[in-house]
Amino acid sequence: MTDLIFSLRSWPRAILHLDGDAFFTSCEEAIHPELRGRPLITGGERGIVACASYAAKKLGVKRGVPLHEAKRICPGLIVLPSDYETYSLFSRRMFQIMRRYTPQVEEYSIDEAFADLTGLRRASRASYEKIAAAMRETIRKEMGITVTAGLSVTKVLAKVASKHRKPDGFTAIPGRDIPRYLAGLPLEAVWGIGHATANHLLKLGARTALDFARLPEYRVRKNLTKPGVEIWRELRGESVYPVVSEAKSTYASISKTKTFAPSTGDGEYLFAQLLRNVESACIKARRYHLAPRRIALFLKTDTFAVAGLEARLIRPSSHPLELAGISREIFDALYRPGQRYRATGVILLELMENRNVQLSLFEDPLRIEKVERLYEAADRLSEKYGKHALHLGGSHLIDRLGKGKRGEPTVRESTRLFGETERKHLGLPVLHVDV
Amino acid sequence: MKTRRTAETVERDLGKFFRAKGRMPTYSEMMKLFGVRSKSAVHFWIRKLLDGGRLKKDDRGFLRLVNRPFFFPLVGEVPAGFPSPAEEELRDILSFDEYLVNRPEASFLLRVRGDSMTGEGIKAGDLVIVERGREPRNGDVIVAEVDGEWTMKYFRKKGADVTLEAANPAYPPVRPREELRVAGVVTAVIRKYHR
Repeated sequence: MTDLIFSLRSWPRAILHLDGDAFFTSCEEAIHPELRGRPLITGGERGIVACASYAAKKLGVKRGVPLHEAKRICPGLIVLPSDYETYSLFSRRMFQIMRRYTPQVEEYSIDEAFADLTGLRRASRASYEKIAAAMRETIRKEMGITVTAGLSVTKVLAKVASKHRKPDGFTAIPGRDIPRYLAGLPLEAVWGIGHATANHLLKLGARTALDFARLPEYRVRKNLTKPGVEIWRELRGESVYPVVSEAKSTYASISKTKTFAPSTGDGEYLFAQLLRNVESACIKARRYHLAPRRIALFLKTDTFAVAGLEARLIRPSSHPLELAGISREIFDALYRPGQRYRATGVILLELMENRNVQLSLFEDPLRIEKVERLYEAADRLSEKYGKHALHLGGSHLIDRLGKGKRGEPTVRESTRLFGETERKHLGLPVLHVDV
Repeated sequence: MKTRRTAETVERDLGKFFRAKGRMPTYSEMMKLFGVRSKSAVHFWIRKLLDGGRLKKDDRGFLRLVNRPFFFPLVGEVPAGFPSPAEEELRDILSFDEYLVNRPEASFLLRVRGDSMTGEGIKAGDLVIVERGREPRNGDVIVAEVDGEWTMKYFRKKGADVTLEAANPAYPPVRPREELRVAGVVTAVIRKYHR
């Protein structure tokens, strides 16, 4: 019964999903042409494979595998530390190129974006397929990386399409062809359907995405929650999720985690890492004029066990100086001497506008005012001298020991162009070619 | 006050016109421009500039300025004294980013290590901006992979024949035997002396 028709029109909407192929390693190959086509992974500083190039994937190296195992599978493997500076420059370029074709671009993650092309056929004098092809070609030519595109009538289906043929592929699923692509597609391959939902749907008799899309509406509404119903509608070609082109203006929570390799048992260094995460999270919170009511801190051991605790603040604050005391207390409760850790993290919760914060009864308003002014100054200094120019003494160990001792610096980090400082770099990716 | 007409003022007038209109003036426009009353007077000045090498005729007989007029005057042109701040404000500011990088999405930085382009004034340690995806034209400085080796050279093309030429006599011209992969065209060179 795959001839069931969900949509009579081919393109009631045209939504494109663009996905960078092995994005991190592709960026590395673009700036280190000599690495092109070689088995390559990034994530060296974390001790696990963050991204494997297609050459490495072919040899059996997968994402998330510990480094030593990856090296065992593939002895000639090239291991690079993640160079997020370069990856975000590339990411921004990819989005900019997409915006040449349509203003409606949603930056979904560092290497993925949606674009709404509906109605652009006449203005661009090209079919939707042609517009997608032009975007991919421009990205290949100007950035030197390949992307895979999926074109369909909803976001969920566009993601199905972009997964269909990878890498450097293009798949279009017009409204009439939906059933053809959903037949045989496992449920968990659909965006938004996890393990639990998939099992639940199995009990309703849906084994594939097509089975799910063909369930009658009353059964879907009876058995699934709102997001489930929305995915069901999207799979049937009814666009529910819009392409949101505005940048995020607020957050429900902000988290910062940093993994380092090799793992460490050094309490002071660990605490410095934790405090630096608190500082980074607070910078982001202040940028959006938010302050958390609750703060959660966690440590991750080298066996991937996580220990965490949270605290409620008497007053919302996004000033590390005020959070340092409670951070220390939590850290002391979490930290086990002798244990080795691989990551620390912080989550700021219950964020609220930090204007007109109600002061608590037993605090000195003058001191609060002072701290506020201090961080206004700190933020201005960061603008001038780079992030974390002014930081807490407790996190200073990172600047002193550097990441160099704990993890290899990236090529970009060890390339200081004349006139650059450690915290401020020029905004173009650096090509590493010996000429 | 009327200034004396000299080859310099005439050349400047031509530059001004070219900047404003994006083309060279006709003879009758030049009459007005130079403030002369006949075309033969115009011819006299043009002849003078041609002989002085400040003006050239191209292959179709059209006039060309030899010193290309600078397109973005940042400060107003004044005969003497200091420019007034008000005049400076009349112009939009072009940031060095915009000035140096034509296509930000396609541009990369490269630190030069070798000495193959010293004759062009590109030394080891200089930064060059490399633009990807741009079709190299005859005489462009390009970064390319030739038979497995990376190099920065002039791109010389005669018909289908491509030669890469160094700006340093120590390096002979290279003719790609098997493969030439152009990584990009050099669009700017940056050398900073002080921080």
